[in-house]
Amino acid sequence: MIWLTWRQMRAQTLWTAAVLAAAAAYILYLAWDVRDAYRTLVTECTTACDEAAHFLDDRFGMTLTLLGLLLLAGLAVFGAFWGAPLVTRELEAGTHRLAWNQSVTRTRWLTAKLAVAGGAGVLLAGSVTLLLTWAVSPLDDLADSRFHPIEFVTRNLAPFGYAVLAFTLGLAIGALTRRTLAAMALTLLVFLGFQLVMGGFVRPLYAEPVTETITMAEANTVGYIDGLTLDDSGATVMGYTIPGAWVVSDEMPVRMADGTAFTADDADDCRAVNVPPDECLSQKDAAFDVVYQPADRYWRFQWTEFAIALGLSALLTGAAYWRLRRGLN
Amino acid sequence: MNTPVIATNALTKRYGPHAALTDVTLDIPAGRIVGLVGPNGAGKSTLLALAAGLIRPTAGTIDVLGNRPAADAAQLARVGFVAQDTPVYAQLTVADHLRLGEKLNPRWDAKLADERLRQTGLDPAKKAGRLSGGQKAQLALTLAAAKRPDLMIFDEPVAALDPLARRSFLQSLMEFVADMDVSVLLSSHLIADVERVCDHLVILAESRVQVAGEIDDLTAAHHRIVGPRGALDQLPPGVDVVAADHTDRQTTLIVHNTAGAPLDLPGAEPIGLEDMVLTYLHRAEGLAAPILQETAR
Repeated sequence: MIWLTWRQMRAQTLWTAAVLAAAAAYILYLAWDVRDAYRTLVTECTTACDEAAHFLDDRFGMTLTLLGLLLLAGLAVFGAFWGAPLVTRELEAGTHRLAWNQSVTRTRWLTAKLAVAGGAGVLLAGSVTLLLTWAVSPLDDLADSRFHPIEFVTRNLAPFGYAVLAFTLGLAIGALTRRTLAAMALTLLVFLGFQLVMGGFVRPLYAEPVTETITMAEANTVGYIDGLTLDDSGATVMGYTIPGAWVVSDEMPVRMADGTAFTADDADDCRAVNVPPDECLSQKDAAFDVVYQPADRYWRFQWTEFAIALGLSALLTGAAYWRLRRGLN
Repeated sequence: MNTPVIATNALTKRYGPHAALTDVTLDIPAGRIVGLVGPNGAGKSTLLALAAGLIRPTAGTIDVLGNRPAADAAQLARVGFVAQDTPVYAQLTVADHLRLGEKLNPRWDAKLADERLRQTGLDPAKKAGRLSGGQKAQLALTLAAAKRPDLMIFDEPVAALDPLARRSFLQSLMEFVADMDVSVLLSSHLIADVERVCDHLVILAESRVQVAGEIDDLTAAHHRIVGPRGALDQLPPGVDVVAADHTDRQTTLIVHNTAGAPLDLPGAEPIGLEDMVLTYLHRAEGLAAPILQETAR
């Protein structure tokens, strides 16, 4: 059965391997480029060293985002092109009637397909993501934004979970719809939709976020303020970044450190004087509350994400087995 | 081989509101070549798919060689199934197919497979997708035969073949059935093929079994009787009317004599297999049989 599965998957595996080899070659080139730039701008830095992170972000930021999105799309495509046709192609060609009448039960037939195709696919996809994780690690370390939605799902463990999920999603949808094209399209849509749901709604729930009061005086040492508005109603911090952490709040009203309100008069004061607003606010002993997931929760979140993906995969695989064992009535 | 190859009890298969098989109770003894005939949509493929375990019944039971179809690997090894349009893996070569047969079947007979390949002149290096319909059927037959099953099931194996390929396919079928200790169940809508190959018959129409039995017994028990109008109103017990046609002066009947004793009625003459089958098929459709006077086609 393993031989037959391999024989059926051979052409497809070689194609995929060729595409991934090209991707790997590019990632290796990128790794060299990143390290070269890192050495010039950071290690052997002579001028404007504080700006190094900026320079690197300008140079590689777009590439990293694109690579991350490509990797996600690649996982979806893996599910659609490897998972979905695994069963439907046989059903459409009628060859399941040949395969299911050899002296091999349907359970074993599906297990062999799952193990060979799924195993090979997940290993291939996983090795590419590991390569990417390593290649861009200097940039990731410098940016220290591991919870960033794209970065989070395309580094370390999470992509392994998602590779398994994409594959089993394709398999289960294929077994239920029995149509290759419909199953492929559905797999792509559901997988990408699922990514949005996970990042937007589910991931923040893995742990109760921490709420911390940051005084204006320490605001730019703990992290940094992305934006600050001063108007007639008071002051608001528009976005706050803590290195390595996941800041959940996006608008944080400013108040006095003793709990009293930051009034319109206070805002007027700060607008009147000729000092930067955050300096003025810090002189007035203002503060704000930030809600965030601390940086040291990263691996806990990675494992949770991985476990959820594997759990769902198990359910989907179970559904596929159940469907095929019942017979295709 | 005393277990019936197929025993069904009130077997029913529905697809939504549509009944594909209704209340089929059959008992097919071992060692026969069974022909399953009926028009398209009669439920032949459904019955065969149930026997192969590809689908499950809605109600009733089916036992194949004494076990539930496709219950386990051992049961699968005992039944060879060649599906309609004889599916093969288009991307795999003929040799690959034999290799998969060898790897997936514990009772694989490599000698038989090679032998049949030589006889049929199939090129082992050729991709199965490039074979003609007749060659594909031969390949599927080889796969099913070399697994050395106790029962072989063929679903319309020759429907898509031209007359020449059909003839050579049936020829090979009969040859290795003669060599092997195997029962065969095949479906066809070509009565002439069934008459040539089979010794047991099941007529299926409108999702029900019309009649089943040894072909010789069936043809011996079916008669056409022509007599003056009114003279045939009373028939001996055990003689069932399958079809009747009345004109002003005379009555024509097709009867099935289930009594066992020879039918002793004036004007009774035997009918051929084809006429008998057509009579049942027309009855199932609620039509008068056009063959009461003479053969329709």
